[in-house]
Amino acid sequence: MSGYRLENGGRIDRSRPVEFSFDGNPYQGFAGDTLASALLANGISLFGRSFKYHRPRGIMAAGSEEPNALISVDRGAGRFTPNLRATGVEIHAGLNAFSQNRWPSLKRDFGAINDRLGMFFPAGFYNKTFMWPRSFWEKLYEPAIRKMAGLGDAPTQEDPDIYASTYAHCDLLIVGAGPAGIDAALEAMGSNKRIILIDEQDELGGGALADPALWPWLERSRKALIDAPNVTILTRTTAFGYYHDNFIGAVQRLTDHMPNNSDSPREKLWRVRAGEVVLAQGAIERPLVFDGNDTPGVMLSSAAKVFANRFGVAVGTSVALMTAHDSGWHDVFALVKAGVGIKAVIDVRTELSSALLDEASRLGINVYLNHSVTGVNGRHRVTSIQICNNDDFVGARIDCDTLLMAGGWTPSVHLWSHSKGSLAWRDDIGAYVPDQPNENARCVGACSGGWDFGSGMIVDVLPTPKDQSRIKAFVDFQNDVTAKDIKLAVREGFRSIEHIKRYTTNGMATDQGKTSNLNGLQIASTALAKPVTDIGLTSFRPPYTPQTFGALAAHAKGALFQPTRTTNIDGWAAENGAVFELVAQWRRARYFPKMGEDMHAAVNRECVAVRSSVGIFDASTLGKIEVVGPDAAEFLNRMYTNPWKALEPGRCRYGLLLKEDGFITDDGVSARLAPDRFHLTTTTGGAARVLNMMEDYLQTEWPDLDVWLTSTTEQYAVIALQGPNARKLLEPLVEGIDLSADAFPHMAIREGTICGIPTRLFRVSFTGELGFEINVPTAYGRAVWEHLMAEGAKFDITPYGTEAMHVLRAEKGFIIVGQDTDGTITPFDAGLDWAAGKKKPDFVGKRSMARPDIVAPGRKQLVGLLTDDPNVVLEEGAQIVADPRQPIPMTMIGHVTSSYWSETLGRSIAFALVAGGHEMMGGMLYIPMPGKTHEAKVSGMVFYDAEGARLHV
Amino acid sequence: MSDALFRNEPVSSTPCVADGVSISLAAPLKRYSLRARTAEALETVLNAKVPQKIGATEGGIACLGPDEWFLRTAAETAMPTDTGLPVAITDISERSICLVVEGPRAAELLMTGCPLDFDNFAVGRATRTIYETVEIIIIREGEDRFHVEVWRSFAAWLWTAFTAAASH
Repeated sequence: MSGYRLENGGRIDRSRPVEFSFDGNPYQGFAGDTLASALLANGISLFGRSFKYHRPRGIMAAGSEEPNALISVDRGAGRFTPNLRATGVEIHAGLNAFSQNRWPSLKRDFGAINDRLGMFFPAGFYNKTFMWPRSFWEKLYEPAIRKMAGLGDAPTQEDPDIYASTYAHCDLLIVGAGPAGIDAALEAMGSNKRIILIDEQDELGGGALADPALWPWLERSRKALIDAPNVTILTRTTAFGYYHDNFIGAVQRLTDHMPNNSDSPREKLWRVRAGEVVLAQGAIERPLVFDGNDTPGVMLSSAAKVFANRFGVAVGTSVALMTAHDSGWHDVFALVKAGVGIKAVIDVRTELSSALLDEASRLGINVYLNHSVTGVNGRHRVTSIQICNNDDFVGARIDCDTLLMAGGWTPSVHLWSHSKGSLAWRDDIGAYVPDQPNENARCVGACSGGWDFGSGMIVDVLPTPKDQSRIKAFVDFQNDVTAKDIKLAVREGFRSIEHIKRYTTNGMATDQGKTSNLNGLQIASTALAKPVTDIGLTSFRPPYTPQTFGALAAHAKGALFQPTRTTNIDGWAAENGAVFELVAQWRRARYFPKMGEDMHAAVNRECVAVRSSVGIFDASTLGKIEVVGPDAAEFLNRMYTNPWKALEPGRCRYGLLLKEDGFITDDGVSARLAPDRFHLTTTTGGAARVLNMMEDYLQTEWPDLDVWLTSTTEQYAVIALQGPNARKLLEPLVEGIDLSADAFPHMAIREGTICGIPTRLFRVSFTGELGFEINVPTAYGRAVWEHLMAEGAKFDITPYGTEAMHVLRAEKGFIIVGQDTDGTITPFDAGLDWAAGKKKPDFVGKRSMARPDIVAPGRKQLVGLLTDDPNVVLEEGAQIVADPRQPIPMTMIGHVTSSYWSETLGRSIAFALVAGGHEMMGGMLYIPMPGKTHEAKVSGMVFYDAEGARLHV
Repeated sequence: MSDALFRNEPVSSTPCVADGVSISLAAPLKRYSLRARTAEALETVLNAKVPQKIGATEGGIACLGPDEWFLRTAAETAMPTDTGLPVAITDISERSICLVVEGPRAAELLMTGCPLDFDNFAVGRATRTIYETVEIIIIREGEDRFHVEVWRSFAAWLWTAFTAAASH
């Protein structure tokens, strides 16, 4: 033996040494080592500091249940991963790992003062102590606690790695490739089933990897499975969650075990839909609860066997075992065989099989039956242990550097429980085992409770002569919960394990109680003098082990975070300096600044251009729905507030859409193309919602109507040409349509061609100017736009964006649903009662318009506001009061919904929702804003060309 | 249509060719949404057979739902007016583009973001589905050849997603 590395054995490749570092110190291990095994081989016993008390901690387990040895790995800028279990990190050349939750160093940690003051930090300490004064919580208590109590540092830089993702389907998914999982795969291999076999480790085998006698079988099985065309093997893959209908989430780690960062994905998220799921997750060994059981050098007995047989590492030079289960004895025998020196075996039981005792005797092992460990000496590593006879408490000291614990086994039922499979309590093993499935799933092997580790005794806390309230016997190592914390919770009145868990934090967070749940239950059961089954079982929650945000987000970052919808003309806007804004999922040009212009200058120029000559605007994002069928007019008549049946083909109408509650939900101008065909428009953000709502009514209320709805939003690019010169520009480009005022009046639609491209040409206006909206097949949007720009040069054609559009419509008193309305505004409130058909027997929302609250006085109503100082532009969202001299807090009677500088009018204009606003025409209201309270006169909403002379030309 | 005016497509006309799979923009097509109370009514208006089984394709017409068909064709189809029959035909030629995903890894590529089981998705089948959050229509043209219809404004995102997944 050199150091702690055994001369022989293990699955490591001794011909391939690997250099790595831990806390800045260089170490050497072998290919096949984990960080845990390599550091143990180097004699390292101290791996981290505990969550709350900053106690020194070492390795407790060999697998993903490890609660103590959480470390960080730094793979370069933005590639910092905290809270990895050292037992799951494969070493590679250049691996750069660090311990956590310590300052200034792992060995000298100032935070360890918490351990001395432990008696002042009982369960529920934070809740009890830091409540008052309330204001101290955010600024003082929480930051201080977070600094002291914690895990690794959260990464602060953007993660440059990429992550892949996929769906997969199979007939049989097997989780866990230990002997039971491999057997299940071998058994199904000959069928024509598609099989996926998942295992979290770097190679198949599970527990068999620590049992050299099984290696020949393992190798044969591995080859057979690899050769089977219907078996997909996913190693380094953790099935972290089990969801409805046999849907399993798993993350495959692809590159972290490799020396260099690569351009290929770091991890891959598998979203698997399986016909049948076989869970072969195995069982986790339970620690024993006694004073000092968290001292570095105290670990699970099974882990010692794994380190010896799989990694060729002796966990110590003189090893003692504290056991309540036969399996500990078998582990010790295996250790002796591997060349690890065994000092003593202490068993809490008085009687056990003579075969074990004979074997121990044959191997010359000192045996103490009916004894318990009552104390552990050593701070950064065990130096000796105290043991006592359970009856007379006569004690002895045993010098050793490692103490193994064997407290029995807990079937890993995490995924089974995610799937809502039921559990049954088994007194003989003191554990819950899978009972009735909720999905097409079954458990095999140790996770079903079927194992051959022998038998054991269930003990909650080892007998001790010490004052139980003064010892630190850990139950949940990751969350620093001791047996006395659980007893305290019971004393303070907590009865359900759900409450005890939350009060003490036992079994919480990333660990999900892998090593602590059952011990916690036993202790609570004893304290409450009730059977375990009477105090409940906490829920296991995904993920089984922590997964990276990167894997879960997969592609959904950067350009692929969410689709940004762009129009056909977007590229032109980008090339011509547009400043964009996001509207729903769409990117829209907000304004087109010329050299040196700020937004206001650009918007003023764009507005003036529309009023004086012609502006061009990309309106493609407007929602469009084609409503077709013999009952199309009847359907729209029922949906919209105003009458639609008499609308002639070729004409347009403004449609106002209410929800059942009578409140405005959308509006738009729609056209009748033929008796059975309408072209509807909706707001940009409302397109999907309106189509859904209409489909909902059609399918559930009026399935008898012969009419169908088709989204045509993306079928057409829409170019609005607005301004007194719009017709002059359009006339030479359009064929098949008489553009004259008489032949093509305001609110009409014609079909023809523009520049040779078929068009649905609307004569409509959202600006108050002579205007057209040119609908062309989307692919030609940009070409037609560019043609209009070229031809329009002689009219100084000006592209304008959504900001100018907003100003122009506000000058004309046109509302924007969602800005000037808030989901509680009726047509009457909005001054749009003219659009609600009084004579119509019914339409969606009509009945609600007669509700007492809707007709009561004092409702918020939409009005215009003109500030006393014409240069003051009110803030949108500013609150409005009737009397600025009233005491604070003032009664707020409304707020500003839209507010702009109107270059055309040479003053500011605004809309506001004001309680009883319609009754206040000409009155004064007050708008407190930072620095000053402004005065404004209530007015009508049409500020420009009230008679509409500019439209009808 | 005028040859003078160009078509502006949302994705590159240069195919993306990766190991085992290529993604390319299909040539322009005429597309129609066909809705009808009964298949017979639709057949009367179209004077053609339409498939009756959801997911089936026949003569360029895919049956997408109980009252919904999707016609893709090279030729223009008249949109009948006032037939009196319970039928609705709507021109959606330019609403979507079609990406052709081809090669031995074609199904694998689609599965990176589409939850369908392509081992059980026969050649000739068509369905409306999703790729991550984006709605698409998939038509299996051959064992290793899929047409993916996607609305224009989502096409750039889908192209980026496909090409990223293809490179992995």
